[in-house]
Amino acid sequence: MATRLIDESLFESGAFGGGSDAGDPPRLVGARCSACGTVVFPRQDSCPRCPDGVMSARVLPVSGRVWSWTLQAFPPKPPYRPPSGGHRAYHVGYVDLGEVLVEARLAVPRAEIRIGLPVRLTTVTAYQDEDGTEVLTFAFAPDRDGGR
Amino acid sequence: MRRADDVYVVGCGMHPFGRDESVTGMDMAERAIREALADAGVAWEDIGYAAGGSDVSGKPDTLVGRLGLTGVPFVNVQNGCATGASTVLTVANALRAGEASLGLAVGFDKHERGAFHVSAARYGLGDWYAETGMMLTTQFFALKTRRYLYEHGISERALAMVAARAFRNGSHHPLAWRRKPLTEREILDSAEVSPPLTQYMFCSPGQGAAALVLALGDRAFDLCERPVRLASLAFRTRRFGSFEVFSPWLPPGPHRSPSVDAAEAVFRTAGLRPADVQVAQLQDTDSGSELIHLAETGLCGHGEQEALLAAGDTDAAGRIPVNTDGGCLAGGEPVGASGLRQFHEVVRQLQGRAPGLQVPGAPRVGFTHVYGAPGISACSVLTV
Repeated sequence: MATRLIDESLFESGAFGGGSDAGDPPRLVGARCSACGTVVFPRQDSCPRCPDGVMSARVLPVSGRVWSWTLQAFPPKPPYRPPSGGHRAYHVGYVDLGEVLVEARLAVPRAEIRIGLPVRLTTVTAYQDEDGTEVLTFAFAPDRDGGR
Repeated sequence: MRRADDVYVVGCGMHPFGRDESVTGMDMAERAIREALADAGVAWEDIGYAAGGSDVSGKPDTLVGRLGLTGVPFVNVQNGCATGASTVLTVANALRAGEASLGLAVGFDKHERGAFHVSAARYGLGDWYAETGMMLTTQFFALKTRRYLYEHGISERALAMVAARAFRNGSHHPLAWRRKPLTEREILDSAEVSPPLTQYMFCSPGQGAAALVLALGDRAFDLCERPVRLASLAFRTRRFGSFEVFSPWLPPGPHRSPSVDAAEAVFRTAGLRPADVQVAQLQDTDSGSELIHLAETGLCGHGEQEALLAAGDTDAAGRIPVNTDGGCLAGGEPVGASGLRQFHEVVRQLQGRAPGLQVPGAPRVGFTHVYGAPGISACSVLTV
């Protein structure tokens, strides 16, 4: 099945060709300030903290811990685009990647979800394009090898 | 500061909050203004400066077509949840600058049902953020509350106590929307919206309007038996490291809110301490927000909230009465009107004529606090 990333600018370029399903999920790319070290996501051209730095692309760590979480129980209004089967409650949260906390969908079952849970980058289907292409977005899932 | 330079509230009016399909935002605003003018004993023709705010219900300055084409300067404000405080600030500063001796601040709104519609582009974000279902204010409040409870060892029951007090207070208030008291159990067992927050822990977008007449110096005492002094008003935007709605990323903590900055500034300017406050209004978009704001404004320490609530200290007859009219939880949140509802309630409390539960013992120091997206806060201290 054809797939595409929801927004190429969020991901490492060339890491994931359309239609490929092999290998690791594409890594997230933010930006880091050369002066104060602040890391932002998605990338932006100026530093929100200091006036001096130059922002350059920064590939973010792929594993971290759940910093906070909640459930989206009701279907959001547009421009939210539900998956082909319609809205199903999903978890969202912030993942502590050390240098930055990233907000993401959490592909974690309710029984397991908690602050501090080790998680690892993955992708989930956000919705389908009209031609049937699966549109993928980033998410974090339990890291079975992490947190030791 | 000399009395001649001080600004006072000399009249207030409010259209009941809630849902009423028979009136428009402008209708409600007009009614609130006429009530405020009557309360102050002045006519629209006497108003020398005006400011109005509405998020979605029209251009406030067009109200001059209903009230009278006097040529009065009328500033429109659109400042999210800080809209009401911004109108007061605008009018107060104009009076102090000598533009006029009598001014009017009005706020109104009439929202659709359900969570607010948002546009990613309007917040400088990519479409992906909203399309993937992460651009919801309800999620933000839940995420911030979850983390706060975790860091400060507060139970989810405290969230129910906040809402139960709000509905209890609202049940006594003739201008509130939700006037049915609910038990903590009913609140905890209501539909899960974004855990730890349930349906009855969130306010709803509603409708309403509120207006204040402000006067400078001696003019206030000529007009009003018990004018309420605007001791200070501080408005702040976020600084680096605040944890705000619609944030695809956050820096590692600690996270400092603009509410902390606004509260510190307002108490400093007023020459008072949080412990001096005898009646308070805190932004309670949801139970978690009020809980957090109690500590961010300095009214209690972080982690002390649960004991405070359990002891009834935030009840109308308690040590620090909070949201004596039921706040946003019982009133709903018509964005443009909500901040002025807070002023309306505190002014009436300080004048000893609260529409609902009156704080006993003739309170002399009141406090208001609003917080909104993305990272704005305004606080005021009012005294008699």
